[in-house]
Amino acid sequence: MNSLLTSAVAGLSAGGAYAILGVCAIFNYRLVAVVNFTGAAIGAAGTFVMVALYEAGFPLAVDVVAGVAAGALAATLIGLVMTTWFAGSSASTKAAVTAALLVGIIAVGLRLTGGQHPHNFPEIVAGSAFRLAGVEVTRASVLTIAISVLFTVLTEMFLARTRMGLQLRALSQRPMAAELIGIRVKLLALCVWAVMGAVTSFALMVIAPLRSPDFMSISLLVVPALAAALIGAFTSFRAALVGGLMIGVIEGLASGLDAFSQYRGAIPFVVILAVLLWSQRGARWDEAR
Amino acid sequence: MKRLSTLALIAGAACLDFGVAGTALAAPSCDGAIQLGSVSTITGPVDFSDGPKGAKAVFDQINEAGGINGCKIEYTMADDKGDPQVAAQAARDLIDNKNVVALGGGASLLDCAVNAGTYKRNDVMSVQGVGVDPMCFNAPTIAPVNVGPYTLTTAMLDYASKELKDEKLCTFFIVLGGTQEAYAQAVKRWEEMSGKKIHLVDMTLPLQGDLTPYLIKARDAGCDAVLTNQVEPGVVQMINTADAQKIEGIDWVFLASGYTEGVAKALPNTKQPVYLGTEWEPYTETNEANADWMATMEKAGLPKTAFSQGGYLAAKVLADMIASMDGPVTRERLGAKLLEGKPMKYSIAGSEYVFGDAAKHAPMQATKVMALSEGKWVPKSSGWYVLPAAN
Repeated sequence: MNSLLTSAVAGLSAGGAYAILGVCAIFNYRLVAVVNFTGAAIGAAGTFVMVALYEAGFPLAVDVVAGVAAGALAATLIGLVMTTWFAGSSASTKAAVTAALLVGIIAVGLRLTGGQHPHNFPEIVAGSAFRLAGVEVTRASVLTIAISVLFTVLTEMFLARTRMGLQLRALSQRPMAAELIGIRVKLLALCVWAVMGAVTSFALMVIAPLRSPDFMSISLLVVPALAAALIGAFTSFRAALVGGLMIGVIEGLASGLDAFSQYRGAIPFVVILAVLLWSQRGARWDEAR
Repeated sequence: MKRLSTLALIAGAACLDFGVAGTALAAPSCDGAIQLGSVSTITGPVDFSDGPKGAKAVFDQINEAGGINGCKIEYTMADDKGDPQVAAQAARDLIDNKNVVALGGGASLLDCAVNAGTYKRNDVMSVQGVGVDPMCFNAPTIAPVNVGPYTLTTAMLDYASKELKDEKLCTFFIVLGGTQEAYAQAVKRWEEMSGKKIHLVDMTLPLQGDLTPYLIKARDAGCDAVLTNQVEPGVVQMINTADAQKIEGIDWVFLASGYTEGVAKALPNTKQPVYLGTEWEPYTETNEANADWMATMEKAGLPKTAFSQGGYLAAKVLADMIASMDGPVTRERLGAKLLEGKPMKYSIAGSEYVFGDAAKHAPMQATKVMALSEGKWVPKSSGWYVLPAAN
C-alpha cells in the first residue's frame, strides 16, 4: 500500500506539468476557439530563449523575463496567423493548422537548439518543498500546481465578473457577431495568445530541469496536456486541472506496478476514453430509449 | 667510423630489401576509381553524418596522396532519413548503380535492420562505422567497428560488479524496435559470465516523460548501480531527477550514447557518481592513440566526435584491406579478403578488428570507462576494460 502511495506521489511532478498545460489549452479554446497543438512548443521556445541567455552569462532574472516575453511574442505570432487567415475556419481546420505549425516549430526548434544535445537548464526554483511517502516533492512541482490553481481561479473570475471577460466569451462563441457589435476582436484575441504564451513559457521553465532537456520532448508535452483538457471537455478549467494531476498520478502508479508499466504511455488515452464514455453516457442512453 | 658505415650499409640493404618485397607482395589494381559507400541517417530524427564524413575524410586524404597503389577511391554517402523505404532504396542504388565493392563508415538508426538481407543476397560486405540496431551485430555480411550498446551493456555490468564493487545491479532500458531481446541477451551474457544474478530488469523506461517514478523504484529496490541505455538528454534528466530526489549511494552507469561534452557541460554541479563506457579511445582525450584520427579530422575541418571515430576507423579498415589485396579490387575479391578474417589492430580501438566468416559479428569487445567530474568526462583508467570473447 505504502509503495503505491510512493508511486502516486512520484507522479505528481509530471501531473503538475500536465495540469498547467491542460488549463492553458482550455484557456486557448474557450477564449479564441482554437484547439492549440503548439502550446507546449511556444513554451519551449520561450524556455530555450531563457537557456540561451543563461548560457551566454546573463543574470537569471533577466533570462526569465526575456524568456517569458519571447514566449508571449511567439504565441502572438501564431495568434496572428490564426486570426488573420483562419478566423472564419471551422474548429477542426484550426486544430489541423496548429498541428502543422507544431511540426514546423519542432523542426526549426531542433535545428536552432542543437538537436538532441542537452542544455544546462538553470533551476528557477531549486530544492524540495517536503517529503511525502519517501518522495521528495520538489518546489518546482508545488509551484506548477500552484500556478495551475491560480490561473484557473483567476481566469474563471475574470471571465465571469469582468466586462472584458464577457467580451472574450462573445468573441469565442460568435466571433462575427462580436465584431459587429464593436468588440476589437483581433486585439483581444492576440492578448489571449500572448498571455497563454507567457504562462506556458514560465511554467515550462520551472519544470524543464527535470524533463528531457531537448526541444522536441518539451514540445510533445502537449499530448498529455490535451488529454487533460479533454477531461475538462475543453470547457471546465477545474476538471482539466484535476485531470492533469490525475494522469500524472496514474502514470506514476503504473510505473510502480510491473504488470502495467509497459502500457504507461497509453494511460492518457485510456483516461480520455473512460471520461468520454462517462460524459456521453446520458446522450447515448437517451438515444437508445 | 668503419662500424658506422657498416651499419649504414646494412640499413640501406634492409630498406632496399623491404622496398622490393613491398612491391612484390601485394598490389591492388583497379579499372577506374574504387567505389565505396555507406547508408547513414543524416537528415531525419537524428543527424549521424559525422560517421560517414569521418570516413570520407580518410578517403580524401588517401586520394590526395595518390590513392591506394594509384587507385583513387570514390565514396558515396547515402542518406536514409531514418526511413526504412529510403534506406532500402539507398542500398539498392549503391549496390546496383554505383556498383560499390563494399560498404563502410555508415552510421544509421536502421540500415542494418532494413538492408542486412540485401547485403547478404548481393554478397556486399559492410564495415559499419556505428552499428546501432541489433541486426548490425547479427548478420553474416556486417561487422561494425564499434562495440555497440549490447556488448557495452554486458561490459558495464561487469565493470560495476567487479570494479565499483556493486552488489545489486539494476537495469532500465528504453526499448525501441526489436532491441528488447538484444538487451535481455546482453544481461543474460553478464549473468552467465559472472555467475551472478541481475537484481532488477525494467524494459519500460519511456523515451519522453518524467523519470521520478523509475528512480524511486530503483532506490526502493535497493539498487547499488543503475544501468540505462539513455541517450544524451535522458542522461541529464536522470541525474537531475536523482539530485532532486536526494538519492544517494547509487552508481549511475550509461552507455556510449551518453558520452558527449554536452552532457558533461549540462551537469556541472552534480555529486552523483556517473560512469559510462566508450566505443573507442575517448574522443575527448588528446593522446597518442587519437593522434592520427585528430589530425585527419582537423585537416578535413570536421568536428571531433565519437561518431567520426567510427567512420574514420571503418575507412581505415577498408583502405588497409584493399591495400593488402593483390590484383583487381572487385566486390567478390574484397569480400573474400574480409571473410579471411585477418585481425587488424588500431590504437583507437581496444580490440582487434576481425571480419571473418561467421553468421554474426561483434569483434569489438573492449571499452574505456569514463567518469563525470565537475562538468568533464575523466577516464577512470588508462587501460581498456576487455570482455572475454563473445561466444
